[in-house]
Amino acid sequence: MSQQSRTHDLLAAVIGGFALITLLTAGWNVDTSGPDPFYKGPLLFPVLVLSFMVISALPAIRRLIWPATGVKWYLDGNGLPVKTMWILVFLIAALFGFSIIGLEASTALFLMGALHFMGVRGLFQGVGLPLLLTLVIVLVFKLFLDVWFPEPLFLNWMGG
Amino acid sequence: MFEHMLAGFHAALTLANVLSLVSGTFIGIVVGILPGIGPMVGMVVMLPLTFSLAPDIALSLLLGVFCGGYFGGAIPAILMRTPGVPSSLVTSFDGFPLTQKGEAQTALSAALIGSFGGGIISVLCLIFLAPVLSHVAASFGPPEYFSAGLFGVVLVVMANRQQMTQGLLLLGLGLWFSTVGIDGATLSPRFCFGTLVMQNGLDIVPVCLGLFGIGQTLLLVERKILQTDQLNLTGSTLDFSKLRVAFRYWKTLIRSGIIGTFVGLLPGTGSILASFMSYEGAKRVSGHPEEFGKGTPEGCLASEAGNNAVPAGAMIPLLTLGIPGDALSAVLLGVFTINGIYPGPLLLVKEPVLINTLYVSMLLINISAFIMLALWLRPFALIVRAPAGILAVYIMVISVIGIYAVNTRIFDAMVAVVMGVVGYILLRLGWPVVNLVMGVVLGEILENRLRESLSIGQGDPMIFVTRPISLFLVVMTLLIIVVPLFFDHRRRASEAKSYPGR
Repeated sequence: MSQQSRTHDLLAAVIGGFALITLLTAGWNVDTSGPDPFYKGPLLFPVLVLSFMVISALPAIRRLIWPATGVKWYLDGNGLPVKTMWILVFLIAALFGFSIIGLEASTALFLMGALHFMGVRGLFQGVGLPLLLTLVIVLVFKLFLDVWFPEPLFLNWMGG
Repeated sequence: MFEHMLAGFHAALTLANVLSLVSGTFIGIVVGILPGIGPMVGMVVMLPLTFSLAPDIALSLLLGVFCGGYFGGAIPAILMRTPGVPSSLVTSFDGFPLTQKGEAQTALSAALIGSFGGGIISVLCLIFLAPVLSHVAASFGPPEYFSAGLFGVVLVVMANRQQMTQGLLLLGLGLWFSTVGIDGATLSPRFCFGTLVMQNGLDIVPVCLGLFGIGQTLLLVERKILQTDQLNLTGSTLDFSKLRVAFRYWKTLIRSGIIGTFVGLLPGTGSILASFMSYEGAKRVSGHPEEFGKGTPEGCLASEAGNNAVPAGAMIPLLTLGIPGDALSAVLLGVFTINGIYPGPLLLVKEPVLINTLYVSMLLINISAFIMLALWLRPFALIVRAPAGILAVYIMVISVIGIYAVNTRIFDAMVAVVMGVVGYILLRLGWPVVNLVMGVVLGEILENRLRESLSIGQGDPMIFVTRPISLFLVVMTLLIIVVPLFFDHRRRASEAKSYPGR
C-alpha cells in the first residue's frame, strides 16, 4: 500500500464532495419546522459534522488539483478484485433470494456456487458441507431462535 | 459490597454462564488463531445469537470471544510468523526466532503466561478502578459527558494522526451516519431521502458487522496470508516445564499488564499500541536489551501481557461512563442497551450483581483460555491451515443471515453488505476503519449531550469552559492535539537539519 497514491486523495475528495452536497441540501433533507431554537434543533449537529468533513477534505482536494511531483495512482499492486466482486454478486443475489426462493434454497445455492467459484470440488466439500451448514443455519435461526423469514414468493407464484 | 461479589460469583458459576463463557473462549481462540479473521469478526457474527440470552450470559459469551481472540492470536505469530490478531505482530518479533531455534514451547509458554497474567492483572485493575471512576462520573452533567466524548474522539483521531485527513473524514462520516433517521428529541426525520426504511436509522450492529465481518472476509477471498506452511511444534500439549522460564519475568508481566490496561482505557488507541509499549518498556528496563528481536521469552511475555490487558481496560470507560473505548466494546455496548441496561456511573449502583458477574466471568475466561490452549495446543495450532477464502464464504452467509435475524429486516442486511463493500475498500486502502465505527458509536452520545448542554446554557457554548471538570477535559483535549503535533513538528525539523537534502 502506498500512502502517497493519488487514489487516497481521490477518495477523500469524493467523501468531502458528498459532505458538501449533503450540507448544502440539508435544509431539504431535515425537517426543521419545529418550534425549537437552532441550538436545540435537529440540524445543529449534522451541520457541524458536515462542515468539519468539508474542511478536513480540503488538503486532499488541493493535492488532487495540484499533485506533487512523482505521485501516482498506484495502490497496492493486487489488481482488480474480480473474484471478490463475483462473491459479492453471489451474496447480494442470496440476499434477494431469501424472499424469492426462501432461506434454505438461497443459502445452499450461495454456498455451493461461491465455493465452486473458489475452486472447491468434490461431493463432500462442494455439496455436502454447504448442505450441512444450511441445515445448521435453519436449525439455529428458524427453530432455536424462532426468527421469522419471508414466505418464498416462488411458492406463491406456483400456487397461482 | 461483599455480598454483591458473592452473588456475582454465584451467577458466574451457574452452568449456563460457564458453558457460555467456555464456548465464547473456544470460538475466540479459533478466530484469533485464524489470521485475518480475529475477535471482532467473531463477536459480530455471534452477536445476533446473543439476543435471546440473558444479558450476563450474552456478555460472557462475547467477552469470551473478545479475550479468547487475543490469547489465540499469539499461536500463529510464534509458530508461523503470521499474527492471528494485529497486536500479536509484536509477539512474532521474538516468538518466531525462538521457534526457529527449536524453542517454540518456551515462546508459547511465555506468551501464554503473558496473556494469562495480563488478563488477570487488568481485571483486577478494572475491579478497583471502575468504582473510583464511577464515583467521579456521578458528578457529571451533559457538558462533562460531551467533553469526555470529545476527548475520546480526538484521541481516536490523534492515535491515527499519520493519516489525519483519512481519519477525520471517516470519523465525520461515522458521526453523520449516527444522525440518519428520526431525531429522538424532535421526532424530525433526518437524511431519510424520502424513504421509510431509513427512518429507523443506521443501526450500529449492521454497520459494525458489515465493516468488520463482511469487509474483512471479502479481503480474505483473494489474499494468501500465511507466511509459511511449516508447523514446528513438538508435543501436542504445552510443555509445562517451560513455564518456570516465563515466571522469571514476573516484574515484566506486572508492568506490561498495567501498561496494557491503561492503553485499553484510552479510546481508540487499540491493542497494537499496548503490545508495542509493553515490549518497548520491557526492552528498556531489561538487563539484556540486545536479545530483544533475536528470540527472548521476555519479549513474547511483555507483548502478550500488554495486548491481553486491553479488553478489561476498555471495559472501564464503557462501564463507568457509557463511552466505549474501541469497536469491540462498542459491540458490547449494543448488548447492554438491547437488554435495557445503560452503562454509566449509576450502573455499578443499579446492577451490582451483573457487574460482579462480569468481573468473575472475565477471570474465568482467562483461566479457561489458558487451560484450553495448554491442553489442546497442537489441534488449535493446526486450525491456522484452514483455507481462509473458503472460511470467508461461510462467515459471509452467517453474517448476512445473523444481521437479518436481529430485526427481521432485509434492509439491515443490505446496510451490512454496503458497509462490507465500504469496509473492503477502506481496508484495502489502509484507512483507519476504527474511526468510522467510533463516529457511529459516539455520534448519538455526543449529539444528545451537546444539545442538552446548550439547552442548559441557553445556547451559550461557554458552558463547556465554566464548569471545572468540563474545563479540565477541554484542556486535556487541546493538549492531546497540540503536544503530539508539536513533537512531530520538532522531530521533522531535527530530521531536516540532520538530512538537509531530503
